[in-house]
Amino acid sequence: MGDWKSLLMNKNYRRVALFGGVYNNYLALGELMRECRASRVDAIFCLGDMGAFGPHPDRSFPLLRSGGIQSIAGNYDVSLAQGNEDCGCGYTDPSDNHFARISYDYTFRNTSRENKKWLGTLPSSLSFGLGPLKVRLCHGSPRQINEFLWDSTSPDHLLSGFLDSAGADVLCCTHTGLKWHRELPGRKHFFNVGVIGRPENDGRTNVWYTVLEFDGHGFRHEFRPLRYDHRRLAREMRDEGLPEEFVETARTGWWTTCLEIMPSRERRSGRF
Amino acid sequence: MEEAPPSLPLRHLDTLWFQVAGTLCNLRCSHCFISCSPDNHTLELMEAPRIFRYLDDARRMGVKEVYFTGGEPFIHRSFLAILESALQDFPVSVLTNGVLIDEAKADRLRRIADGSRFSLEIRISIDDYEETRNDAIRGKGTFRKALEAYKLLYDRQFLPILTVTEMRDYLSPQGEERDLHGRYVKLLRSVGVDRPRIKVIPIFEMGMLPAPAEQRPVTPEMLRELDPDTLQCSSSRIVAHDGVYACPILVGEPEARLADDLEGGLRDCSLYHSSCQTCYVTGMTCKNF
Repeated sequence: MGDWKSLLMNKNYRRVALFGGVYNNYLALGELMRECRASRVDAIFCLGDMGAFGPHPDRSFPLLRSGGIQSIAGNYDVSLAQGNEDCGCGYTDPSDNHFARISYDYTFRNTSRENKKWLGTLPSSLSFGLGPLKVRLCHGSPRQINEFLWDSTSPDHLLSGFLDSAGADVLCCTHTGLKWHRELPGRKHFFNVGVIGRPENDGRTNVWYTVLEFDGHGFRHEFRPLRYDHRRLAREMRDEGLPEEFVETARTGWWTTCLEIMPSRERRSGRF
Repeated sequence: MEEAPPSLPLRHLDTLWFQVAGTLCNLRCSHCFISCSPDNHTLELMEAPRIFRYLDDARRMGVKEVYFTGGEPFIHRSFLAILESALQDFPVSVLTNGVLIDEAKADRLRRIADGSRFSLEIRISIDDYEETRNDAIRGKGTFRKALEAYKLLYDRQFLPILTVTEMRDYLSPQGEERDLHGRYVKLLRSVGVDRPRIKVIPIFEMGMLPAPAEQRPVTPEMLRELDPDTLQCSSSRIVAHDGVYACPILVGEPEARLADDLEGGLRDCSLYHSSCQTCYVTGMTCKNF
């Protein structure tokens, strides 16, 4: 995985927005920036995987690189930066890998050398303060960039161990594409912050991000739905020759690909 | 001088398997990689209290997921109680031939699954997409029973995983099956399953299969060229009634036995067996996906 860096930010915030999985969805990213400005968050954090799934990879980077967002690297970003042959998502099923391959090849071809180089500068994890709480961000898990942490397959003792090792009160990750939260013993919190790149396999076309806040009333969190021009995204995906299965997901809100890696409980709530 | 096989350290114990039914099975297949049968006591049933102690250790060690296999787990009288208990703390997968799953058991499994926050995955194995060929290996009626079990569970909101092996005709080696996955999708759709899940396992040349013409163990040099995390023995172990083994494929093999207890089982394992080569080449994992 190369020479990874962990960034300790000597900063403390009151309210932050977090999201993962841009997946080339520059339209959702633009909407997110507008919403965050309006809701006056102190900082915005992206937990990685800028590419995949959507059209025109290079259109996300001006927003990501403008200084308004602190990003860490996902497996996709490491793969693009290092010129790897595949996305390193961690799929094992042939049909999952089939679509992952199409998506990665497209993104690799259409991401500029300069943007790939920038991806190579991102830290693998990041820590900051939220009031008295120490927050740690990573992409998959603190130990493995492409670890899938689904709600139904992540035992409490595993998550508590991650938090203890990280010396954190709040641990945030992404990678799976589904948001969830669990409060653990000792008032610790684990979050999967969700992704803004594709909808959540629930038949709705919006995507999700997370807001964490510490004020006089204590720690609060909110999962926020984000609407964007999904019809335009679907149109552009089709124009770029991306698979109709991807277009259908953007259009309908149901996942059609990379389903085998999902545990049955999460998969059951989807259509396919 | 012949090079010693390389050893692989355990990165972290993520996956813990239980050979809960030992080598005891309700079926007597003409092929089985560890020759399970109704009277093969090489590995005995595991006693429930022993399993509970292992589960306590596993929780303490931060194990992520638990698998139950055999033999046939459902021949174990305490199996449903063991399953229910494991699901309080872990996501669990069960590997079964499906023959003993009737309506009452499927209902009970649904209730057990609903009582847990974690996923319960059930894998049902068959040997062929054609009934006569499957039954020639597994016994008469096993094909229908397995498919019935799949449907009973599917109708109760499970999404079972049909587990099959790649097929090779040893009498005409060129005649290997194409689109095996598609054949099984078609089979499951024919019994009313709209969302089939299928896992295809490569052939391990062991058990009752002819021994490979040439033994090709993994060499230290080969291991240097691979991300060791892709080998399942870097993150999993299996416990049987007589101790801890390196992996589910080699359970019961004296050379793969690592220790009496889980703590000792965390030590490096040797990639001494020709099956290690199969994992190396195919990226095989016994896990679901």
